[in-house]
Amino acid sequence: MKLAWMFGSSLGAHHLLWAYLAVWLIQGGYAVWIGSQWMRSKKDSRAGVGFDSETEDS
Amino acid sequence: MTPVTILLVQSAYVRGKIEIVQRSRILGPLGIVWLGITLGVIAYATKLALFVAPTEATMGNVQRIFYYHVPTSMLSLLFPYVNFAASLCYLYWRRRDPLKALTADAVAISSAEVTVVYSTICLATGMLWGRAAWGIWWTWDARLTSMLLLWLLYVSYLMLRKLSSTGQTHTLAAVLSVFAAIDVPIVYMSIQWWRTQHPAPVFGGGADSGIDPSMKPAFWMNVLGWAMWGIFIMILRYALERRRQESEQEAALQAIEASLEIAK
Repeated sequence: MKLAWMFGSSLGAHHLLWAYLAVWLIQGGYAVWIGSQWMRSKKDSRAGVGFDSETEDS
Repeated sequence: MTPVTILLVQSAYVRGKIEIVQRSRILGPLGIVWLGITLGVIAYATKLALFVAPTEATMGNVQRIFYYHVPTSMLSLLFPYVNFAASLCYLYWRRRDPLKALTADAVAISSAEVTVVYSTICLATGMLWGRAAWGIWWTWDARLTSMLLLWLLYVSYLMLRKLSSTGQTHTLAAVLSVFAAIDVPIVYMSIQWWRTQHPAPVFGGGADSGIDPSMKPAFWMNVLGWAMWGIFIMILRYALERRRQESEQEAALQAIEASLEIAK
């Protein structure tokens, strides 16, 4: 099996696996956090009052 | 509502820059397509790194950490410059055009967070590699120490923004980011300026540097994939920050209008 070396008992195999898992967990965790923050925000999807820097000074 | 938002909104209110705007979605059709392509590229790059690239003669399979470690390290030195540019824009616009300053501020915080994410990965994968290759988790050599310093600088940048509640928080954070950016070229040049345990640069390190041509597809595909992912999550975080700003602007606007009513 091609993955056998990854799940072997050597230090290098363990560290290779942990390194790849760490990357996916950190990146995925951050993306999930952004998504959860977005969902928690209480804004509705309708148009609201805001500001537009392109507007000419009155 | 942060004091800086109130100050900026008051300034914008006085200038009459108030308009109804449509709130942005977090993920439009282009974003979904971009995400799909990005995940495809990362999956293919991971396959190349784990199964196609040849096993390195000296270190064996643990060398495959290189295909994630080096691209994320390269990107952790690029996103600080986005933060640096956005912070300069914020400092320039904060009195001239507060609304543009808020946009620059949203870019600054999103790029700072992505910098922390990538530099954390750089340090974590580097330590895992170091333990397997050198027998130690950490050594205080110039490259590792300067990279740790970069991580600490951007973590302190985020903590400053999170914990400080004065009206000058965003300005102080922007100034801090200008100083933090100075560390980036030091990290990059550290392995040339000082004798370090860290390997020589893979590219541009002289006649003895470089990787075997059979390793290059896996390497560059990972650079592409993680760069696309970094851009994606930075835009995602930017959209979140803009939504927060809109929310704070609404609250600030209501507070200003209420105070004007009381004054009448």
